[in-house]
Amino acid sequence: MPDERILMGVVGRPHGVRGLVHVHSYTAEPADLPTYGALLDDSGRRWTLVWRGDGVAEMRDEQGRPLPDRNAAEKLVNTRLSVERSRLPKTEDDEYYLADLVGLAVMSAEGATLGRVTAVHDYGAGASLEIAGEGQPILLPFTRACVPSVDITAGRVIAVLPEEVVVATDAPTTAAGPDQHPA
Amino acid sequence: MARSVWKGPFVDGYLLGKAEASRASGRNEIIKIWSRRSTILPQFVGLVFGVYNGHKFLPVQVNENMVGHKFGEFSPTRTFSSHSSDKKAKRG
Repeated sequence: MPDERILMGVVGRPHGVRGLVHVHSYTAEPADLPTYGALLDDSGRRWTLVWRGDGVAEMRDEQGRPLPDRNAAEKLVNTRLSVERSRLPKTEDDEYYLADLVGLAVMSAEGATLGRVTAVHDYGAGASLEIAGEGQPILLPFTRACVPSVDITAGRVIAVLPEEVVVATDAPTTAAGPDQHPA
Repeated sequence: MARSVWKGPFVDGYLLGKAEASRASGRNEIIKIWSRRSTILPQFVGLVFGVYNGHKFLPVQVNENMVGHKFGEFSPTRTFSSHSSDKKAKRG
């Protein structure tokens, strides 16, 4: 998927009268946005970005000219800035860009289709894949046991749904769970 | 006010049994729990819990750095979504 574009940020409101703009960076480290080089807007124009303050940047066009004034900056508000997928650096083993994982087909080990990856969550306790198929979405831990195979080029992952631990003596008696005291 | 040290960390009793059963089985299992208030203990490291956030069970892969925190800290109750851009996920 070399021609695919990845959204990296959006131009916000103008800052001052000298053509500076606020830029909302979506990168993992917001300050890293200029390290990807030229940023493409939706019409294909290339922009380079130089940080001039906290979240404030100078935008330069293909000829290297900065925006002259606030009026020019106002025209760029809400411009989406993206890069080609091929410009992202290679990942380590067992590491994947979220943009690559979203949209992959999810198959069982037997070859049955389970659905499609719609989102990847990470709240500080390991990544998990949200899989939309028939019925309720499934949240699957992104572990070797649950996702033994990831094939980006083929556009699919193999998933093994985990079983639920059941201990006979602690079955919840209410929908709220066993640790909730009755009102 | 902090919890008194002499009491030890709080854990709902049923978690210990479920964790033990999961570790003993050695299978690909997820331990569904509602107890967001329980402290993560060293014996939970390496297990995968599904911590209820009032809506669904979010997978929590326990590692050493999480010991001493509460399960609820890793299962947010409000919707949060961000752009993927250059963010990466590592397979655990």
